[in-house]
Amino acid sequence: MTPSNQTTLTGLSAWFSALIAMSRKELTIMTRYPVEFVASFGQVFLIVIILTLAGLMFSRDGVRSPGSSNTAGVVVYGFILFMFLSDTLWTIGYNVRREQKQGTLEQLYLSPASKTASLISRVTVTLVWTGLLSIGSSILMSAMIGRLPFNNLPLGALILILALSGTFGVGFAFAALTLRVKEAGQTLANLIQFAFMVICAPFFPFAALPEGMQTISRLIPLSYGVDAFRSTLMGYPNGFPELAPIEIELVILTVFGVLMPVLGLWLYRREEDRARRKGSLSEY
Amino acid sequence: MTAIANPTFRQTLSAMLAETRLRLLNITRYPGQLMMEIIIPIVFAAMPMLLGRATAGADAEANFRANTGTANYVAFLLIGSNAFTIVSNAFWHIAYWLRFEQETGTLEAVYLTPTSRITLVAGVSLYSALRALTTSILAYILGCLVFQVNPLQGDILLAFLFILVGLLPLYGVALLFGALVLKVKESNALVGLMQWGVGFLMGIFFPVVALPPLVRAVALAFPPTWMVNGVRSALLGVGFFFEKWYLDWAVLWAFLLFIPLFSVQVFHRVENGVRRNAGMGEF
Repeated sequence: MTPSNQTTLTGLSAWFSALIAMSRKELTIMTRYPVEFVASFGQVFLIVIILTLAGLMFSRDGVRSPGSSNTAGVVVYGFILFMFLSDTLWTIGYNVRREQKQGTLEQLYLSPASKTASLISRVTVTLVWTGLLSIGSSILMSAMIGRLPFNNLPLGALILILALSGTFGVGFAFAALTLRVKEAGQTLANLIQFAFMVICAPFFPFAALPEGMQTISRLIPLSYGVDAFRSTLMGYPNGFPELAPIEIELVILTVFGVLMPVLGLWLYRREEDRARRKGSLSEY
Repeated sequence: MTAIANPTFRQTLSAMLAETRLRLLNITRYPGQLMMEIIIPIVFAAMPMLLGRATAGADAEANFRANTGTANYVAFLLIGSNAFTIVSNAFWHIAYWLRFEQETGTLEAVYLTPTSRITLVAGVSLYSALRALTTSILAYILGCLVFQVNPLQGDILLAFLFILVGLLPLYGVALLFGALVLKVKESNALVGLMQWGVGFLMGIFFPVVALPPLVRAVALAFPPTWMVNGVRSALLGVGFFFEKWYLDWAVLWAFLLFIPLFSVQVFHRVENGVRRNAGMGEF
């Protein structure tokens, strides 16, 4: 093969080119399953409405309750963050596993394309789709149960970006774990996801947790992401944020968002090197 | 080898039980999966419980009673989440049945065997019902103990009657849905959506009277709605739809007599159509 008539991309342009090409591949796969598009939207809407209705059963006037916007805010914003975090936390590792199963992981590693771009491309399209789902479900929920509290959008977006950046890091670390433990990674992911649903309280206020559990919540940076995100969008109603003043939560989130991707990537590269040396990259 | 043109009842039963045994043997290899099936309904019911406790505080029980007919929200929500497990299992195991055979590479063998597909699907249904009932009962008892509620209250025998009569039409609906999956193929997406759709309609965490009239009418056309309300009424006294338990039970019997036969007919028609168009092996 003669590379003479090919343009050789280097540096940042090569990185973006690889990211775009790989994201396009993921998008192509997604568009082959149109029913899944519609079904995932319906599913999200149903889950949110089920949890909101369940919450309203505890209010004085049930579904006719006029003061239910905070309940809806806690559920809807918590669920939105939960969806975004699920994308970044598990999808990267899940996709690495999928490449292993399909037998294409080794080929991918033989190509000179950036490994970071490869990892991020796994969730780029999903994140855009989740964003659209979030907007759609918020509009539908507002139409059904009245206006959601909606304040401080720029700060809310910043908190979302910081939390996502941090969870990208956790996602890289989880992908590293997947390379090590293989199939057991999926069971582990399920277990951690359920622990996250309880400890990081995306569907209910932290006040509902027993005191001991709240202490554990305070040790996990993601909890501050959940708390800061919904409190900010709800306009800091009485009692919110629950874990710490918003300024402190922002500092914790910034540290998490900046350091975690570096740490996660370092862990992934370390595990990748180990797998290559052992020849276990394509082991399935 | 002798071909069996018209198998006897005994032979059919034997084939059905063999399928059930095969599936049960298979799942015993994955104890972690069974553990998760016990934990998931408890965690799932804990979400609205914690949300309600936090938002309503000391009024949680009183408000819940005013809206649902019982102050025992722990048992109410646990019944809902466990019924959801039963419904989800039915949909995944039945609607996903042929897809499962495709994935495991045994679909051709299924179509070459003289045993009827309905016999095999009955075996899968029995396995699914046994698995779902066992994990759900354990999850309910464990959940009640975790949240410090007595699991042995109310008319337990009547609750079982509602579950047992409700299971057959539920699996009938799942088979009907399986016919749709055969046609559309995208089983994961469809089953995922359907399980939440049925969860919503049967009032997983709320009574169906909370739904708008039109949606409520649709909900009442689903056997799981009657099954869940029957169990809740038997155990917690929230009130039967027709006030007397035997009237609600009779409705479930009507479903039982109609839905499975109708589903089998529809499934056969769709299956034949798909086979004629050579679409059965498409992955």
